[in-house]
Amino acid sequence: MSNRMVTVEGLGKRYKLGGPTGFDPRARMTENLKRITGGKREDFWAVRDVSFTLDRGEAVGIIGRNGAGKSTLLKMLSRITVPTEGRFTIDGHVSSLLEVGTGFHPELSGRENIFLNGTILGMRRAEVRRKYDEIVDFSGVQKFIDTPVKHYSSGQKVRLAFAVAAHLEPEVMIIDEVLAVGDVEFQRKCLGKMKDVANSGRTILFVSHNMSAINSLCSRCVLLDAGRVEAMGEPGAITSQYLNKNNDELTGEKDLSSSPISSDGAGRITHLRWTNTNGKVIDHAQVTQAFDLEVDFEIAERGYKPQPVALVYNSKGEQAFMTFPAKATTPPSRDVTARACTSPPTSSTKTHTT
Amino acid sequence: MRITVDAKHWKVLPDLRELFAHRDLFLTLAIRDLKVRYAQTVLGLAWAVVQPLATLIIMSLIFGRAVEVETGNVPYPLFAIVGISAWSYFAFVLKESGGSIIGAQEIVRKIYFPRLIIPLSKAAVGLMDLLVALLMMVALFVWYGVSPSAHLIFAPLYLVLIIVVALGTGIWISALSIRFRDLQHVVPFMIQFGLFITPIAYPASKITASVPHWVQVLYFLNPMAGVVEGWRWSILGLGDPGGLCILSLVSGAFLFVTSFIYFRSMERVVADLV
Repeated sequence: MSNRMVTVEGLGKRYKLGGPTGFDPRARMTENLKRITGGKREDFWAVRDVSFTLDRGEAVGIIGRNGAGKSTLLKMLSRITVPTEGRFTIDGHVSSLLEVGTGFHPELSGRENIFLNGTILGMRRAEVRRKYDEIVDFSGVQKFIDTPVKHYSSGQKVRLAFAVAAHLEPEVMIIDEVLAVGDVEFQRKCLGKMKDVANSGRTILFVSHNMSAINSLCSRCVLLDAGRVEAMGEPGAITSQYLNKNNDELTGEKDLSSSPISSDGAGRITHLRWTNTNGKVIDHAQVTQAFDLEVDFEIAERGYKPQPVALVYNSKGEQAFMTFPAKATTPPSRDVTARACTSPPTSSTKTHTT
Repeated sequence: MRITVDAKHWKVLPDLRELFAHRDLFLTLAIRDLKVRYAQTVLGLAWAVVQPLATLIIMSLIFGRAVEVETGNVPYPLFAIVGISAWSYFAFVLKESGGSIIGAQEIVRKIYFPRLIIPLSKAAVGLMDLLVALLMMVALFVWYGVSPSAHLIFAPLYLVLIIVVALGTGIWISALSIRFRDLQHVVPFMIQFGLFITPIAYPASKITASVPHWVQVLYFLNPMAGVVEGWRWSILGLGDPGGLCILSLVSGAFLFVTSFIYFRSMERVVADLV
């Protein structure tokens, strides 16, 4: 038996800009006129010329900026949308998880939704019945299993949905950012489950913005840019190529020197700089890396004592942590830089003045 | 199992084997709809009886008593319930499957399965109503002490034809409404209009006796016209299932076959359109 599970050759998807014209005769006519007069139709290739292969048991991560074509690629491989060019072959049973809880119906009970979601994900009813107890155990919502899902908290809903998904037994699994839901504890649980899946010899195709998840889960990584494969190879190398590439377009520095004085008249921030520990400006950092945040500010009110506090959010908008000043600072001069250096989860803060 | 998708090759007909492989999903979706339909209603399942019963009473009053439609030896309510059973199923399938793909867009955008499962499961839910109407029909036979016609052996055939015509129309509309949402506004009108141009409340002989031949041809191009006439012939022995009724069977079969082909062509673009 061959070990080649997935073969993708020259896959591409074109969208017409401005949405589908449908049957609107006027839109059709304009389009035809454009073609006759040699004008270019406004096409957009979401994915173009993508080729790669996956062997049995491989876990391949797909990364790239928003709009790089990751989701379109997964949608084609999940057969939700049809490619405009190219072809692919998948040997074996596929499950695709582009979200958790697809098809959940609010009026139905947890039990009924397990069957609904399970069969939508491609399980047989008998299979769901067999795994039912395990699924309920895993979800931790035993008490509410006969309550309509509309009365569940969003956390309970997600846990139930993930419990169903975790009991799929496909040979090839296609996953899109499923880890982006739920709290930290839940994400850890998901990641753990995915590692189990990867180690059990199943083939995984995984899209994520979570570089550490890609690094720890995947044996190979594909970097997409503007719909094309920019690089492919060992995850560590590819993820750092991706992160460094983004560093060329810095957003980690902000000049606020023209900002007005704060409403309480205390002062204003004039410059923000986010740097790595070598002093290089960055706009991206792993939560495990130390980084510096430099804040230049002016004090308008004599004797005002600033307390530098930084709230740090991750790319999903969740608050990652908060810094507190170790001790109150007494700025001697007009220009002060507060420097907060953190390396979570035990975040230390030091402030110093220049 | 091996899946191959090639941009250059697209099958014109739906893959029936794949459809069969998804029978559990079909069943689950049908069960879901049945359960959701009467969730948080006071009367619950009784609604399945109330609706056809109300139609039957109104029709009997208007066409049986007031207009006095000629139905031979058959009591008018019995005459009417035969037509109502067929029509209410047809109307249900049209109404439900029409917007079914749009209604399932959340799922359609996130996961693959043969999309035909969606309108098919809606049509299956309607069988419940059909069953209720048939039970009412049996009750009326007992009530009036009438025995069914000797053609009853053909009744199952016409029952299948009713389902085939309803499916064909429903699948067409569900596929069309992906691109033309206008259909959602047309369907209620079609159902209302169709009730007049189908021999539900009156026998088809009323039409053949009163309008020129070319109008009759148009009338029987409506696939439900001939099928309902035949359905009633098989149960009550009234009317003539031959003649122009054959035209209905042809147009019904045409609708059924082409619906699958058109649906398949829409399946290709559905996730990009909904």
